[in-house]
Amino acid sequence: MNAVEVQGLSFAYKGSEREAISGVDLAISPGEFVVLMGPSGAGKSTFCLTLNGLIPNFKKGKYSGEVRVFGVPTKKHKVSDLARDIVLVFQDFETQIFSTNVELEVAFGPENFGVDPDEIGRRIHATLKRVRLDGFEARQPATLSGGQKQRLAIASALSIQPRIICMDEPTTDLDPIGKFDVFQVADELSREKNMTMLIVEHETEEALKADRIVLMRDGRIVAEGKARAILASPALLEECSVKPLEVAEFFASLGPGASLDGGELPLTVEEGLSAWERLGLAADRRRLDSLVSEKTRQQQAGYGDPVIEVRNLVHRYENGLEALRGVDLTIRRGEFVAVLGQNGSGKTTLVKHFNGLLAPTGGEVVVNARDTRATSMFELSKTVGYVFQNPDHQIFAQTVFDEVAYGPRLFGVPEGEVKARVVDALEAVGLTGSEEEDPFSLTKGQRQRVAVASVLAAKPEVIILDEPTTGLDYKEQESMMDLTKRLNEMGHTIIIVTHSMWVTAAYAHRAVVLKEGQVVMHGPVRDVFVREKELADVFLKPPQIVRFGARLGLPVLTVDELVACVGREEGARK
Amino acid sequence: MNLYLYLDKDTPIHRMDPRAKLFVLLFSFALPLLNQHPLWVAGAFAVILAYGAAARSLENLRRIRQILFFIFVFSTLVWTFFAKGTDVLIWRVSRQSILYGIGTGLKLDAMIIAGMVFLSTTKNEEISQGLILLGLPYPMAFAFSTALRLVPTFVGAGATIAQAQRSRGLDIDSGSFIERVRKYIPLLAPIFLTAIRSSDGLAMALEGKGFGASTKRTFYLRFKWTARETVVVGLFLALVLANTYLTLTGRTLIRGLMK
Repeated sequence: MNAVEVQGLSFAYKGSEREAISGVDLAISPGEFVVLMGPSGAGKSTFCLTLNGLIPNFKKGKYSGEVRVFGVPTKKHKVSDLARDIVLVFQDFETQIFSTNVELEVAFGPENFGVDPDEIGRRIHATLKRVRLDGFEARQPATLSGGQKQRLAIASALSIQPRIICMDEPTTDLDPIGKFDVFQVADELSREKNMTMLIVEHETEEALKADRIVLMRDGRIVAEGKARAILASPALLEECSVKPLEVAEFFASLGPGASLDGGELPLTVEEGLSAWERLGLAADRRRLDSLVSEKTRQQQAGYGDPVIEVRNLVHRYENGLEALRGVDLTIRRGEFVAVLGQNGSGKTTLVKHFNGLLAPTGGEVVVNARDTRATSMFELSKTVGYVFQNPDHQIFAQTVFDEVAYGPRLFGVPEGEVKARVVDALEAVGLTGSEEEDPFSLTKGQRQRVAVASVLAAKPEVIILDEPTTGLDYKEQESMMDLTKRLNEMGHTIIIVTHSMWVTAAYAHRAVVLKEGQVVMHGPVRDVFVREKELADVFLKPPQIVRFGARLGLPVLTVDELVACVGREEGARK
Repeated sequence: MNLYLYLDKDTPIHRMDPRAKLFVLLFSFALPLLNQHPLWVAGAFAVILAYGAAARSLENLRRIRQILFFIFVFSTLVWTFFAKGTDVLIWRVSRQSILYGIGTGLKLDAMIIAGMVFLSTTKNEEISQGLILLGLPYPMAFAFSTALRLVPTFVGAGATIAQAQRSRGLDIDSGSFIERVRKYIPLLAPIFLTAIRSSDGLAMALEGKGFGASTKRTFYLRFKWTARETVVVGLFLALVLANTYLTLTGRTLIRGLMK
């Protein structure tokens, strides 16, 4: 019997004409580890919700076809009954963790099924050990890091001892090592416990661990196959808005001429290295150096005077937690700076000082030669715009126009100019023509753009973006970041707080790495990213192509850079 | 920011059966309420503080000190003018109304502190379990403890939303009353939306983990009513009874206070 059997499944949410998923067929065998990928709006989350019966039992709509979990049709069963066999772990760990300590969170599921308290105790012990949270029993979930919270969510699913676990984008908010941990645990469970795993994910490097990858688009399955086979088709992935593996992308770009002796496309750094040798590739170091210095020259040409100066900044929260412990930093006009670090390292606390959301408890922050403590937030917000991570925390107006016009109107800009500014801002974010739309009807990616536009319209010199790519698919991430790059070229100073290593490599000029409230690494992205070991200490991992380049002694940041400087050695075999 | 009051400490009071803690809470509400004269209220206040100190929970006072201060000053002032007494000092202020004001201020603070000590020593799960042991159906007890748990979540979301709007130049603290009310609109829409979304998420997570799957739910936390519980609750009950007797015989009243 299959663990999951889906036949001709279609579903349209109540009040919507469009089918979120249409005609999906899929069978997953027990113990299989499947990763589901695809663009935003492909129907991945909807699909997950059908597996444990939340659709159609909790979320109503037009449902046809059938889903069976170990032979049991989900449509006719209560969600809570199905939980014996299948448990979902949701993307947003804040809403699904509701107990006051770690131990009780894990106990909640088994309690519902009337498991004996002694047995619950044993399960708590075993599952917390499994997700490496032993020793955290009495901790309050709120005090855990993002990665730990997500592992706790997994533990609280595991303790029910289901046969299937389905996770909907479990790693979105995690640092690279946190992502790795989640997949490590999933992999162990499927191998050692024969548990069936279905994970929705954007990260291709992690997906390599899976047995099978299923690609969805527009509510349909467009491709499925062995993980390696799917990942060896960069073009197909790109079509589904999934970022291809960089090493694969590089070798694919060499063209069919660089046939790999009939071998597969290399997917990992190690495979890449042996293919490099086999093909007799060589890099023109001089070409790379001149490319790099040209890029650097271009970037620095736009720099001006310091706009933000941070001196020995200390921030202690009311509960005594010292989030920043003596940070020194100068940001010049026209720079593009990425602030990196593990969950809880103080990134967001640092940038919230730049527009006065937080005041230093020690040291000082000077913006445009004015001490932030002596300047009102109203004044600061004219110079420094801040785009929050979740656009839904700020969108309130009934039309996109009013939303974007809100800032300029507050600053007393005359209505005629407000109009011009809204038009400009919407054009910059690629939303021209959506003035009259209801912002809540837009996609997450579009709402993110509305949030950026609403900051842009106030024409701040400096724009801070907190996790601008979270929750977006690869294409949306790319266009979001292309937008910030354009803004930077127009003269805005850009500061991003991010977990995304490839975004930093491809767009930022400078990286600031925080650890426990202190700057531990700082400099041009290229110089920071070659220090792989030190990055690992702060739970960061450079992008695959950077690691690949490093092994070859080439400080490249993107696939394009490597392609530009590579050639075949004269007289190399084949 | 951490908004939970619970302090994870290992004191005999923390280890008590949640039913006993609920009884103590009830009695420590009753004690200040029974009295009128500030000296008697101060006595009740002292009992509550002693209980809090035994539970090593008074450090939370620091977190609510502003509320306590504000409530004390406000109710003392209001009652000083609104209560009436025989020994008029000046205008509406009499010796009795001052005493009554101070008494009322102390009373309210004592009750808030009693609530704080309860929340500092009792996990949400224990509260719901205590209520169940006292006969409340599980879904109701769970709804109650979830409501308690959601308060900090929504306050946290509210704080983030306020920060987001202030970053866009919203200045909540200036302008006339009407203007300030209007300024709250950009805060309310996202707060409601976030609240709806997270309740929806919570409901799905609950169902998905088998909430209500079995009629006989078990509880991981187990409690036993021992001699300790009987002694503590008995002590509080004795205090309440004695105090009731003294109040009925008029010994805790402010003489000359006119209602």
